Amino acid sequence: MRRKLKIYLPFIGAGMQETATYRVNWIFYILGSVTGCFVSYFIWKAVFASGGGGAMNGFTMPQMTVYIFLMFVTSMIVGSDASYVVGEEVRDGTIAMRLLKPVSYNATFLFQELGNKLLTEAVLLVPLLIVLEIVRTALTGSVQFNPLCLLLYLLSCVLGYLINFFFSICFGFVAFIIKYLWGANMMKNVIVGFLSGATVPLAFLPPALEKVFLMLPFASLGYTPVMIYMNMYGGAELLYFLGLQVFWAAAFWGLSKLLWRVCVRRLSVQGG
Amino acid sequence: MKQIKRLFRMHRIFVVQELKRMTEYKGDFIVGVVGFLLAQVANLLFLWIIFTQVPDLMGWSMNEVVFIYGFSLIPKGLDHLLFDNLWNIGFFIVRKGDFDKYLTRPVDTLFHVMVEKLQIDAFGELLTGIALVCVTLPQLAISWSVLKVALALLVIPFCTLIYTGIKTITAAIAFWVKRSGNIIYMFYMVHDFAKYPVTIYNNAVRFVITYIIPFAFTAYFPAVYILRDENPLFCIGLTVLISAAVMALGIFVWHRGISAYESAGS
Repeated sequence: MRRKLKIYLPFIGAGMQETATYRVNWIFYILGSVTGCFVSYFIWKAVFASGGGGAMNGFTMPQMTVYIFLMFVTSMIVGSDASYVVGEEVRDGTIAMRLLKPVSYNATFLFQELGNKLLTEAVLLVPLLIVLEIVRTALTGSVQFNPLCLLLYLLSCVLGYLINFFFSICFGFVAFIIKYLWGANMMKNVIVGFLSGATVPLAFLPPALEKVFLMLPFASLGYTPVMIYMNMYGGAELLYFLGLQVFWAAAFWGLSKLLWRVCVRRLSVQGG
Repeated sequence: MKQIKRLFRMHRIFVVQELKRMTEYKGDFIVGVVGFLLAQVANLLFLWIIFTQVPDLMGWSMNEVVFIYGFSLIPKGLDHLLFDNLWNIGFFIVRKGDFDKYLTRPVDTLFHVMVEKLQIDAFGELLTGIALVCVTLPQLAISWSVLKVALALLVIPFCTLIYTGIKTITAAIAFWVKRSGNIIYMFYMVHDFAKYPVTIYNNAVRFVITYIIPFAFTAYFPAVYILRDENPLFCIGLTVLISAAVMALGIFVWHRGISAYESAGS
């Protein structure tokens, strides 16, 4: 264990340095991405105003506001670039450099990205959550903050991230078939975005569809943690959804190992 | 005149070259188009779910909202199809020092950059946009006149140039700072507001998307003239003026940028 830590800790450091270098670009990127949240906020505001102002499918307008922005924060915590990075490395052959080293392929990525995340999350997400909590208190007129929910939310986010990471690794191997990674990733992001509840809360879907979506691994990447934070799940439900997350994380971990073995055999790096 | 003819001829040569390249990668072509198509489908599902909850959105019927949404995709798609290369200026070309090649050619740099690539992915947006407009138009009670048809068609290239102008200005920042891709992204994403009726936003947002980053003129104002005969002088006239102003500013900033440009080392 100590030996492993010694091997992988430098990757965390490298990830942090990478993020620090591109911090200005990263801020512009966040500002661009958050626009979508404001658009949905105004649309939902119009919807609630047109609908008479009452609750819809269990959501009031203040809850919807929290949902929209918390979904944004969550998708950043859970987000992973693994599919793009793996795909790029397969395509340009730098994957060979990783193969030469006596370390686990997946683990090096994982720790590098964790380094990225530790820095971004500390700088941005903590203040964002505080602001969100203040807004929530102002909107509802009473303190809604629940430390237990926050802890369970973080746990659910970690599980969600692991699911997303291993799923993205699997998806990255698509590069063996499709050369246009940008297009393939865009397709993936749209589908995952919809299935995870980022486009519209799953509770607004037809009940049969909602049931199916909740079982799929993608609800774990957004909907599950957000609902936990908002205290929408009771005891048994909560355990069920956390258990489901553990199951999917394990499943994708196994699948990524398997695909890795199959793909490495097929890998042919040109030149170099 | 001869000059313009020469530019058109060159454009054709570049396009033919691009098409040849694309036939090499047919799979990519499908992936890109389907990707952008799916993005629109997801947004339409969102709209559909909303209209299962309420009959209208602050006085806008579903058909009207979908019409505005569809209309917004046409200029967006056109800009995406024709002038996508500006993103590469912001993200890679200047930073890697590859911009030097444009400077050595006997043609305007901005023109060269713009016509060099054709982004076929854009058909995902263009086709959805045209389809949505065609589907909703017969269901809307619109009073048509020859003038209105003419203005509606005429305004589309100007709407497109608002996108292109904003991209040109922000891409040109790369000449000073080497990499401006995310700055383009930050400004470009404001277009998200323009896909829906502007009246649902508060005054601050409305002011910004009308007068500061004028995306409201890429869809909402032209569409509201078509739908509800609102002041054509403002809705169409100002679109043309603002579009010309934004593009002129883009060309100005671009050429200022070129004189500040220093190639990347090595």
